[in-house]
Amino acid sequence: MNLAGIRALVVKDFTLFFRNRFFALVTPLALVVYVGLYFIMPRSVDETMEIGLYAPGWQTIVADMEQQGLRIHMAESEDELKDGVTDYAYVAGIVLPADLREKLASGEKPGITLYVASDVTEEAKEAVASLMREMIYTLSGQPLAVEFSTTILPGPDMAGEQIPPRDRMRPLFAVFLVIFETFGMATLITEEIERRTIQALLVTPVSVKDLFAAKGITGITLAFGQAALFMAFVGGLNEQPAIIILALLLAALLVTGVGFLMASLAKDMMSVLAWGVLALVILVIPAMGTLFPGVITGWAKIIPSYYVVDTVDKVANYGSGWPDVWQNLLILVAFSAFLLLVGMVALRRRFQ
Amino acid sequence: MAGDAIVAEELTYSYGELVAVDHISFKIAEGEILGFLGPNGAGKTTTVKMLTGQLKPKGGKAVVLGMDVASDAGKVRGEIGVCFEQTNLYEQMSALENLQLFARLFGVGDFDGKTLLKRVGLDGREKDKVEGYSKGMKQRLMVARSLVNRPRILFLDEPTAGLDPTSAEAICSIILEERARGATVFLTTHDMMEADKLSDRVAFMNGGKIVALDTPHNLKQQYGKRALKAKIQTPTGELLDREVVLDQPETPDLVHKLFAGERVVTIHSEEATLEDIFIKITGRGLKE
Repeated sequence: MNLAGIRALVVKDFTLFFRNRFFALVTPLALVVYVGLYFIMPRSVDETMEIGLYAPGWQTIVADMEQQGLRIHMAESEDELKDGVTDYAYVAGIVLPADLREKLASGEKPGITLYVASDVTEEAKEAVASLMREMIYTLSGQPLAVEFSTTILPGPDMAGEQIPPRDRMRPLFAVFLVIFETFGMATLITEEIERRTIQALLVTPVSVKDLFAAKGITGITLAFGQAALFMAFVGGLNEQPAIIILALLLAALLVTGVGFLMASLAKDMMSVLAWGVLALVILVIPAMGTLFPGVITGWAKIIPSYYVVDTVDKVANYGSGWPDVWQNLLILVAFSAFLLLVGMVALRRRFQ
Repeated sequence: MAGDAIVAEELTYSYGELVAVDHISFKIAEGEILGFLGPNGAGKTTTVKMLTGQLKPKGGKAVVLGMDVASDAGKVRGEIGVCFEQTNLYEQMSALENLQLFARLFGVGDFDGKTLLKRVGLDGREKDKVEGYSKGMKQRLMVARSLVNRPRILFLDEPTAGLDPTSAEAICSIILEERARGATVFLTTHDMMEADKLSDRVAFMNGGKIVALDTPHNLKQQYGKRALKAKIQTPTGELLDREVVLDQPETPDLVHKLFAGERVVTIHSEEATLEDIFIKITGRGLKE
């Protein structure tokens, strides 16, 4: 290895990267925007459920229920209740008839009306239905015939200490910053091929291996640097920093391989953009899972970035340690090595 | 006596079915300028790529400065300088930065970029970004870049193509200075005048083969035709052309008759150009 040559090439690549107005602007801007977004987002989760109720004469029971993390808005009329539901003032509106207690005492089935907006989720409907059953039992004065036992899977019960949206977003932002560097890497290499400067480099004592080493160092430094800075700014390195740093380093290695592959496929800057968007969309999918738990299923595990997101999420948000994520890191090493190798083989053909 | 700087033995390269370079052999002495002439697609660039280690020959062997290019490509590249036909500079960097980068890649410790830029007439613009340079300035910078490591062999691919006469003259002067320093120059060109003026020997390449290799003088002797071209004026005032072929037994008589019987207005000698000779040998022009 020609270390002096590699160093000269890395310095050259950084110089050219930051002389490209687009990358010079976007690189720090993305970091500032993501850190800014993080701090703008709520730092806690409001777990209170809000419902509307039209039930004259039941104020005492309402006060009791509010103590259980439930906020109840009393409506003056059924129409006001319906307006509250359609205006999203509360999740659902419940109408309790005035003769409810009498009917319950006589063994009759009282009619209870529930209003929900058309786009309310099934989970919310279920929650409101459970609440109603509980209210009926409370009003009838009879204890429940069954005992509920609730177990939260997986991990500890997070009730009352839900992960704030901004912390859920951390893995997404970090992965975005890392993935974005595939564009930078592919652009640098494609420009080198398009402008034939690669030919000039290949008639110096620098070998193709030295060239790959220099491009790799540039790509990894840019991708890792931004993601690590972001995590440091938003407190993502407070828990197990070594694991997070290793995961981000492997992610940077991974996107450098993807960048090599893109550069080997791209004929010009437009095709870098086209391939880059495709790579971005695919690699970002697992990160969506941290925002919308349950949306991403097992198939996302075939996407290499899943193991970055899962590791960062588990460690930064749930306090997981080496025993919980070592398999993720091992799979990430395998994916990164494979993509780097494929990228280098494809690019070598392009250089010649 | 100078040794051989470049030895090509049965050098062969093919792109699939197309044989680009077909078993060519030649030697170039140290300090010699070889003009490598041929039309587009003749195999010149492929030959240069094999000699500079960019392509591995499919057959034969290339020895540069006593080193086999196939096995010692890195060492060979440290001793050569290559100037490409198409501009391939880092345009977002200044001329000085471009040269300093390549000096570092060649491991040149005491590199004086400003002096080199002055030599190619780019002093005063050394800190300007290359994207603002004219074609002639870029070409001169390309030549300067090929000189950063004081190469023992200089490969120049069409170094004056499309340049204004001043820039072309400046580059020709540098080539001669390099030869005077002791460097060997491998000059690939379409320009016969340039090749004739600069080259100690010229090689004609056609269809992947070297069809002639000798000094310009010997080629002209062997294949060319020397003649006297005269313009005469008739009694009616009309101007006519006359030609007397030289080196023939009847030449003295023909010259005598010309001056005795005609009113000669102008007269000059003319010898065959390298292009004439190339056409004579291959049946096609160099610019085809």
